[in-house]
Amino acid sequence: MRRYLPIVLASVVVLLGAVWVVSEKKSVPKQEPQQKQVAPLCPFGDSFQKEVSKSPLPHFLHTLKLPQPFLIDLSQKEHRGLALYYGRGLRHLLHPKVWERYGHFSTYVLDKEGNLYLTPMPFISIEPQTFAWQKAIYRLESQTGKLKPWRILEEVEASASNPYGVTSIAYDKHDHTLWVGTLNGSTYTEQKGVIYHIDIASKRILGRIEGVDALSLQLLQGKQQRWLLIGSARGGELLAYGLECQEGVNTPQKLFSLPNTQMQIRKMRVIAPNTLLLETIPFSYTLITQSAKEDRVRYIAKWYPQRQKWEISLQMNENVTK
Amino acid sequence: MVKEQKGRKMQQENKIALGILVGGVVALSLYWFLPTSSPKPIIKKVEQEQIILPKEGRVHHAKIPEVEAYLEQLSALMRRGEAVIPLGEEELESRSKRVQTFLLKNPQFLADTHHNKQLLHNDMMRILPALVGSIPERFQQQCKAHHCYEAQKYNFVTNTTTKALVDSDTLSLLSLERYPQMQPDISLRLTHIAQAIALASEDVKEALGKTPSFKDMTMANVRGTMKESPCQNTSHLCVAPTFSDHHAQKALWAVVDLTELRLAAAKWAGLGKTTTPACISERALQNRYIMKHFCQKDTLLKRNGWEISYRLTGSDGLEVHHVSFNGKPVLDSAKIVDWHVSYQEKGGESLDTSTQSYIEGRRVEFRKEEDGNYLFGYNDAMGCPLFSTSVVLAFNAPQIKPLPFGDGFMLTQDFRNPKWPMACNYRYENRFEFYNDGSFRVVGVNKGRGCGDHAIYRPVMRIDVNLGAEEKFYSATQEGWREWLVEGSEFVPTHTTPYPYKITSASDVTRGYKIEPNHGQFHDQSRGDNATLFVTHFHPNEGESDLLTLGSCCNLKEDGVERYVEDNESIDAKKIVLWYVPRIYNDSKKGEEYCWADSIVDDSGNIEVKVWPCTVGPKFIPLKGAE
Repeated sequence: MRRYLPIVLASVVVLLGAVWVVSEKKSVPKQEPQQKQVAPLCPFGDSFQKEVSKSPLPHFLHTLKLPQPFLIDLSQKEHRGLALYYGRGLRHLLHPKVWERYGHFSTYVLDKEGNLYLTPMPFISIEPQTFAWQKAIYRLESQTGKLKPWRILEEVEASASNPYGVTSIAYDKHDHTLWVGTLNGSTYTEQKGVIYHIDIASKRILGRIEGVDALSLQLLQGKQQRWLLIGSARGGELLAYGLECQEGVNTPQKLFSLPNTQMQIRKMRVIAPNTLLLETIPFSYTLITQSAKEDRVRYIAKWYPQRQKWEISLQMNENVTK
Repeated sequence: MVKEQKGRKMQQENKIALGILVGGVVALSLYWFLPTSSPKPIIKKVEQEQIILPKEGRVHHAKIPEVEAYLEQLSALMRRGEAVIPLGEEELESRSKRVQTFLLKNPQFLADTHHNKQLLHNDMMRILPALVGSIPERFQQQCKAHHCYEAQKYNFVTNTTTKALVDSDTLSLLSLERYPQMQPDISLRLTHIAQAIALASEDVKEALGKTPSFKDMTMANVRGTMKESPCQNTSHLCVAPTFSDHHAQKALWAVVDLTELRLAAAKWAGLGKTTTPACISERALQNRYIMKHFCQKDTLLKRNGWEISYRLTGSDGLEVHHVSFNGKPVLDSAKIVDWHVSYQEKGGESLDTSTQSYIEGRRVEFRKEEDGNYLFGYNDAMGCPLFSTSVVLAFNAPQIKPLPFGDGFMLTQDFRNPKWPMACNYRYENRFEFYNDGSFRVVGVNKGRGCGDHAIYRPVMRIDVNLGAEEKFYSATQEGWREWLVEGSEFVPTHTTPYPYKITSASDVTRGYKIEPNHGQFHDQSRGDNATLFVTHFHPNEGESDLLTLGSCCNLKEDGVERYVEDNESIDAKKIVLWYVPRIYNDSKKGEEYCWADSIVDDSGNIEVKVWPCTVGPKFIPLKGAE
């Protein structure tokens, strides 16, 4: 028996060690990722410039020899789905019935080949297909003008308690990819939105940013690096995600909240050096329409790199009467 | 030889022991450092808040001297044909006094103070020396040489701020700008009124746990000029006096609506800069309160022998469920799942329906009828103000009120389009009346305004009475009660008998309810239900949980529930669900208004909303009580 003593002793030591390790590991409090107060890896401090969009218009417009200018209309006021006005005074309309097939759209981007990518939008009243339509990113083919679902995100589940799915989109011309924001699954108490980074050529998901409800997305070329700006669906916040930060540690960082936190950023663009124009709407994850002109409020967000400070002001020109 | 073998064996056992030790250490290290399970998706928790809404029925400005004096001055001004409350002496020096006198006689400045000869309530808010930065370039020189003043006036009816630049030396109006939907900094007098309202509020006292005094309060005024006010109820002027509790490191923000002169809402917030709300809105506070207390959980109400669970749904309005009276089950569920809204017009022959049409953001459905008329409209879902598929949203929390004749109580919820009573916006009330004798009534109230007359409203009521798993349904005939053996529907007869239907337990037919449709006998100015009744076999997927839009808004031959009776399933001794769909025709003719609302400017120059509700819904009376 004595000759097995080392084996028995070793087994006992390992067993005791295992009991200790398991109990210790269980007693270590689990850190909620969202509660970590980690300083951003690459804090936003960049100056930025206005970038000229070089995306061409869909090629089929040239094939059809339609005269410029063009206006892509997703307002849903006159036409369901996608409508395109063209010609002098934008008096002519292109709106094939098939462009109504997938319900209503909220926003779009053009890629370097003139393909138009659209995000869906639930609208009054709910139709049997409404929730299913919220799963997809749609593409209007540059060559043919055909509109069809381009990439379906199966995990996106719109529902009666949150009818929103795919909501926001931005095109990254540097690597020919899309950034796509979803709001699905988010509740009053929890933010479960995901931003997907999708390669256009392969339709493969390259990465995900979780726990962010993005109502709008915009790429920003800073002096030092590129940023993904995120208009949060809550709290009137603008977030920034450094695209050249180390993977895994990087999280979106809050740049500022709007003075009125009931307004959420629906559109944004750079209008001058270090200056953003923000178009905001009151957004409540319901189907109430509050995107009419009188509901929209525009803000100017000016960044002062030397002072590392944002200044937010209302853009009032539209409302003032003299 | 034997010793050698023994030594080799010893070595082997040592090797095994060493292997166990090394393997164990490696395995445990891996266990320690590797994550225990696949990473969970990151979910961000949203910060919870403590919100107080004023209790129903409390008069907010009664017997507050500051408010009474203000209202008296306003009505005296109106009687004199003036619309602007001037700034008091304490807010003016000699030059600003001259500027005010000049402006209150200046037709340009006063141009927006009346509408169709009706005076509109305005307040002068500020008259101060103009800051260089606010003087337009073209007047910079003049204002360097002279004393220029900037005056701000606020129109409470149109929610517009007027900004005037005046040369006080020459008494000339240099510039005049109007800012619609903008609120200015408020006058000292209104500041005092807001403080007085907050101090007098019973809700504030309850929240603080003591009667506050003036020194406990700081005034969160509008920051800067021409910005949105901290309370943004779109068209109201609000401010937020704050009560700080330094010991508890928190502050109570009391949102006072100066347009209605009342406490609108209050919210506890931390004292730190990061937790101080940058902007408090009455509507936002209401929404969060409703979400937290009535959309996220059920509430239990016990009163007069009744036990009622209730909640707000995503699109089916206010739902009562698990209702009992004196310990006996009454209702599994009752709710209004939809309001079909349609408008009947002539000239269907020339109607072009080839493209979609929209009214106030709603997609409108058109339907031509055989007689040349056509119908258009939409389906309105009522529900939670956030995270729902509703368009008519819960305003305030559910209220419990006594019935007018003191024979019970009602549980009621107000739903509105945020822009009601503007045209094509709607306001509905879901009401459940519970009587002391065990009767109950499911009630829908429409408060207009809609897009115009010729409107037909059809609330779809789903009523799941709980008389056990086996129930029976009967119609009254001249020969007595006739049982419905299969699913079906019919137009509810009026005036033939007060109780045309009854529902009973299959095992005990004396247990159940007689159904009394409304034909105007409930003393609520109703013109009757004109309802269609559907009786269906219970299926969980037929409305037990939230129902999305049910059927067409505008096909008057169908109510949407037809799909549940198509199979003609047996309902004899089955769990039964009743669907009751009243049909209401609105009226906007003067003196005969029904399902209508209108905004008028009252004698004090402020907007008053007049409502002519229409009330529908059947009453259920216990069989013993009815006989």
